[in-house]
Amino acid sequence: MKISTKGRYALEAVVDLAVNSTDHLQSLQQIAERLDLSKNYLEQLFGTLRKKGIVNSIRGAQGGYLLARAPEAITAGEVIRAVEGPLSPVVCLDDGKCQQACTDFEMCVTRIVWQAIMDEINQVADEVTLQDLVSDYLESRDASDGETDIEYMI
Amino acid sequence: MKLSTKGRYGLRALIDLAVHSQEGHVPLAKIAERQGLSEIYLEQVFAALRKSGIVKSVKGAQGGYLLAAPPAKVTVGDILRVLEGELTVVDGEDRMEKGTIAGTVRKLVWDKMDERINRYVDGITLEALVEEHKKINYQDFLMYYI
Repeated sequence: MKISTKGRYALEAVVDLAVNSTDHLQSLQQIAERLDLSKNYLEQLFGTLRKKGIVNSIRGAQGGYLLARAPEAITAGEVIRAVEGPLSPVVCLDDGKCQQACTDFEMCVTRIVWQAIMDEINQVADEVTLQDLVSDYLESRDASDGETDIEYMI
Repeated sequence: MKLSTKGRYGLRALIDLAVHSQEGHVPLAKIAERQGLSEIYLEQVFAALRKSGIVKSVKGAQGGYLLAAPPAKVTVGDILRVLEGELTVVDGEDRMEKGTIAGTVRKLVWDKMDERINRYVDGITLEALVEEHKKINYQDFLMYYI
């Protein structure tokens, strides 16, 4: 029961974009370098993210990516689902696939469990905005910078 | 992001076992038949469940499986962790150190998801699911009756 690298890297990349695109548009090359991810992989993900209205791209020499909306208006759930599809732990909860996957869908008690797991996952993802992630990152980055300084001083 | 068939079919089979083992040992063939699952596959699943002390087996003509503890004492979490391993939504902790974006995402998203999933599955017992099963099937029975 895993979220794939698609969802993980997309979310990391969008947070990186939120942190760094306040002054300048960001190229995928820059994001890929900072996060140590493949630029080709990011290109695929950003194609999808652009279609889903999470990021915008501007062409040209000074071009690059920026968020399509304010970071407090984009949730982690939106980003993850954009690239992963519905966060269902079993195939029978995916849209339209329920009746095909199982003959006794209505009678299936385990479905209650899978649905509840899916609801928990979605709730967590929808409660966190990109702004929450940006703030926590900046805080923890500054905190660990502090730790490094102390180590050097000693 | 999917659970494996082990977890899905295993839980279904255990609800079936909990419902039917009140009258004695249940042969896997019966569970397989009722649930439309392969008996050979269920044998693998039940071997794992027996090793972990969730079911007991008795050999012989009247043999079959029983729950090792009352259904009120067995949680969905106990069962799923035997069949699926730890219930976590992401692997690979390598890139997730503190002070990185991956570390933040882990703390605020992945760890929170794990926490909530585990809290839910540890809070729901096999007995609760058996009750649900009875409710659903009783409604169905009434519908046919009318």
